[in-house]
Amino acid sequence: MSESKAATSQVQVEQKIYEMPPKDGMTIAHFITVADVARSLRFYETVFGGRVESRGDSKGAPGYIQIANTWLIVNVGGGPTPDKPTVTLSVPPDPDKVSSFMNFRVADIQACYKLWRSRGAEFITEPKPKYGETRCYIRDPDGYIIEVGQSNPGITYG
Amino acid sequence: MNEVHVGQKTYQMPPPDGFSVAHFITVADVERSARFYEKVFGGRIMTMGNNVGAPGFIQIANTWLIVYFGGGPTPDKPTVTLSVPTDPDSVSSFMNIRVADIHACYELWRSRGAEFLTEPKEKYGETRCYIRDPDGYIIEVGQSKPDFAYG
Repeated sequence: MSESKAATSQVQVEQKIYEMPPKDGMTIAHFITVADVARSLRFYETVFGGRVESRGDSKGAPGYIQIANTWLIVNVGGGPTPDKPTVTLSVPPDPDKVSSFMNFRVADIQACYKLWRSRGAEFITEPKPKYGETRCYIRDPDGYIIEVGQSNPGITYG
Repeated sequence: MNEVHVGQKTYQMPPPDGFSVAHFITVADVERSARFYEKVFGGRIMTMGNNVGAPGFIQIANTWLIVYFGGGPTPDKPTVTLSVPTDPDSVSSFMNIRVADIHACYELWRSRGAEFLTEPKEKYGETRCYIRDPDGYIIEVGQSKPDFAYG
């Protein structure tokens, strides 16, 4: 299989190492409004092995937790603010009406299902086969859904 | 083959082991969204997906954005419906782009067609502004102040 060759030839193009905060360019994080910063940090730390980098402070600095290739930023709701004068942040008012979510792509969904469940994650259902992938969802402490998906063999982006 | 480097580790999509975290948004038009994130942020379109269930994937910096139409419920989320933002001013979660030079990003991304809610503004711990994407999602753009690693 040519994957190792491809990896070698692409390392030159994809040398960049991402840091938080970035020294140049950008690094992308995911922000969620939460009811309790400490509770959310504990959940993402316990279930996914995230690394808490900041617990925030009472003056408005958010919590930061590194999870795999990204960072989750958590803070309480509020607003509007001068830089978003029409926007209000709140925890999900209806957890069954969703527009965006964190999507965890995994190599072994059955193993993740068992491990993360044993660490306290509440799954909506067991993993189910879908077009191109096997998939299930977790509810986090504020009701956010987190997709957990494994692409089927032969389908790169399931 | 598609990978990003964070710290000492390399993350791939799809991951050969462990997991890689992506951000999913429900969109009205997969191609329009993919082109927007490609043009404004220099994202790399890995796939445009198809109409029978495969979503679009765009690699941007250290992560991947997955875009697809709404719908549901599905057997794996029997009570959940996905839609584009019904009220773009009532928000719970969003993509947060942390940058090294917010004024440079503001000028560059604006010149590429990004619509900012305001110019960058000083906040506690950071300088910050927001973009609206084609479906009305807000995207935070923030630069932490020198004394705040995590502003």
